[in-house]
Amino acid sequence: MDDIILLLIGVIMPYIALLIFILGLFYRLMKWLSSPVPIRMPLTPAPISRLGVIGRMSTEFLIFRSLSKANKKLWLGGWLFHILLGITLIVHLINIYLYENFTNIINSAWYDLSVAFSGILFGGMVTFLLFRRVFTNTVRHVSRLPDYLILLLLFVIIFLGNYTRSYSGVSLNDVRTYMYSLLIFHPTLPPNNTIFLLHYFMAQILLIYIPFSKVAHLIGWILAPSRNMRNIARFKRHINPWNDKVPGDIEPWEKYYERYKQELEQLGPEGERK
Amino acid sequence: MMLDYSHPGKKYALYPIRKRDMEALGVPFPREWTVHDLKLPSNWKELVLKRMTEILREWRSVKLYLDLCVHCGACADKCPYFIATRDPYNMPVARQDILRGIYKRYFTMEGKLFGDGIELTEDVIRDMYIYYYQCSMCRRCAVFCPYGVDTAEITMAAREILAVLGLAPKSLTESIAKCEYVGNHMGIPPLALLSAIELAEEEIKEETGISLRIPINKKGAEILYVPPSADFFGGPHWGTFKGAIKLFHHIGLDYTLSTRASEGGNFGTWFTYEHMKKINKKIYEEAKRLKVKWILGGECGHMYRVVHAFMATMNGPADFLEIPTSPITGTKFMNAAANKMLHICEFEADLIKHNKLDLDISKNDQYIVTFSDSCNPARVMGLIEEPRYVLRHSCRNYVELDPNVNREKTVCCTAGGGLLTDETLELRLKAIKPKIDAIKATGANFIAFICAIDKAAYDTYIRYYKIPAQVGGVTEILGNAIVLNRDAIRK
Repeated sequence: MDDIILLLIGVIMPYIALLIFILGLFYRLMKWLSSPVPIRMPLTPAPISRLGVIGRMSTEFLIFRSLSKANKKLWLGGWLFHILLGITLIVHLINIYLYENFTNIINSAWYDLSVAFSGILFGGMVTFLLFRRVFTNTVRHVSRLPDYLILLLLFVIIFLGNYTRSYSGVSLNDVRTYMYSLLIFHPTLPPNNTIFLLHYFMAQILLIYIPFSKVAHLIGWILAPSRNMRNIARFKRHINPWNDKVPGDIEPWEKYYERYKQELEQLGPEGERK
Repeated sequence: MMLDYSHPGKKYALYPIRKRDMEALGVPFPREWTVHDLKLPSNWKELVLKRMTEILREWRSVKLYLDLCVHCGACADKCPYFIATRDPYNMPVARQDILRGIYKRYFTMEGKLFGDGIELTEDVIRDMYIYYYQCSMCRRCAVFCPYGVDTAEITMAAREILAVLGLAPKSLTESIAKCEYVGNHMGIPPLALLSAIELAEEEIKEETGISLRIPINKKGAEILYVPPSADFFGGPHWGTFKGAIKLFHHIGLDYTLSTRASEGGNFGTWFTYEHMKKINKKIYEEAKRLKVKWILGGECGHMYRVVHAFMATMNGPADFLEIPTSPITGTKFMNAAANKMLHICEFEADLIKHNKLDLDISKNDQYIVTFSDSCNPARVMGLIEEPRYVLRHSCRNYVELDPNVNREKTVCCTAGGGLLTDETLELRLKAIKPKIDAIKATGANFIAFICAIDKAAYDTYIRYYKIPAQVGGVTEILGNAIVLNRDAIRK
């Protein structure tokens, strides 16, 4: 392959993709934070203490508690998908930067086997989500092009990743040397292997796309006022910065009294019935 | 689950606001319009986008919820209106997607560059009017959402946008106008209120032999009691009102009603922030004028969305009031330290806990009582245990509903959000089926609610579904058990 392409995919793009990913997510975060939360209205079961909120958010993060109440099949599929995504990311880190340290603890044959297994299962989970999107009436109705695109992109990346690991013939040592060079900002050209480069390139595309897609939920979920607020609205006055701009004056008692004077006086003087 | 692409939901569009109510409430572009002919002002697109820009700047929740949804479909089958109609727009996610589409098209890069999203047309506005007024803002879907995306907040935003075009339903705005000018949603003027109160006094005298007097607009009373105005109107609410009066007499409470703030409910909640604020403000103004120490609220559902989440923020700080303290038990209700308004079930549960009530619970032996959670107390306040505590201590036969439609998973009475009208009756009767089945399964003959709209709606539902049960309030059951034939026990 041309050195130009290797340079582009291997040296220029990785930094750009990572930069867009980080700055993009930061931009999204700032955009959300730029609007105030005018009202404190969390959703039951809303804790009263901060610790309680941390507990609630942790169960949402770790076991997708709300989703588990909604639909067990979707919950299991979605949860496994995210767990496998996490495992895959960790495995990449280990393979590239920590392989020696790791295989000292764990038998490398077993390790390689479990990595292969999780990679294939990961592909299976994405397939499940894709099938579900196509074959469930309700979900198909609300699915738009981006909903399919992200799953297809993931599927391609995972497929190529699995292929890279088992059949592409790329040397893990070469990849490791190359990735290490990126880390210390002395980039060398990546291994010249088409399948690996394709997998690598698609992953960069994903990284660039994430901040501008619904996958931005990876940081956005923490901000949801329905979940991250304490149920103390009556205990502590929450301030709405634009409250005073909304007109709130209503007909005063005097005007009301004037209108209903005759009736009110039958209740007692000044409308008072003791 | 099959979808019905003939959009049966369209049949249940709410009747349009009347011109005179538009004028009375200051709703823009007063005119006669219909759902088929909205008669939009010429610059309507501009107005929609301007209001939407403001809302996105004002509400983080709306911006976030429009961005967060991944279209997973977990909420799809959680909305009673969807279960009833199978109209795709009634899936919470699809309901949100109308506003999300506009947001995508006009406020995001992909929309501006590639035209992703929904182009604004009059049909889109019509769909918004129909389907955002076919949401009771009950928040059930949000309970199941992995990100807590709250359709209620999206619906509130959409209704704010519709309001700048003068689009709102008749029944809702009629009640708001009555509330702002007469004093309550039912439009009960002072004299009619007096006769209702005299009737309650007479009936209690007949039943118990005790004469009592219900104070109105009494200056210097300790507590202002604000029930929903339906309580003065009889029907399934009447027992709750009498129950509260008996309770107050029993403990010798120094309280008063107010004619001007004779409405705890707040239909403004379902229209715009402005009208919610106005209606709510009367309660504090009357509390101030009457120089009470704190405020006690009656059994009303959506009232507590406002009282709990909005009141202190909108019309506070309530420095002229004191932290609610039970004069009988001495309990200081710190949970209401900022807004100074208490829920009657909190007050009752405290009295029972301190053993201050003389109760003969055999008076309720003819009942098998079940409790149906109301959306707002359950999902906004988290008031779940108190009413159950009161019921368990005032009757012997108490049964719980199916956990799938109970507590925070409760199904809306489907009449909230401004949908308690005749034009939605057929829809509501279908939508309430899951809850009706759960009630039938318990064999209960008394369904207790802490929401006036629940009571009004279920009164019709149980007759239609031929359930041999009575609809009433938690305070009604407590009131039945109170032994009144003695002196007031307050020292």
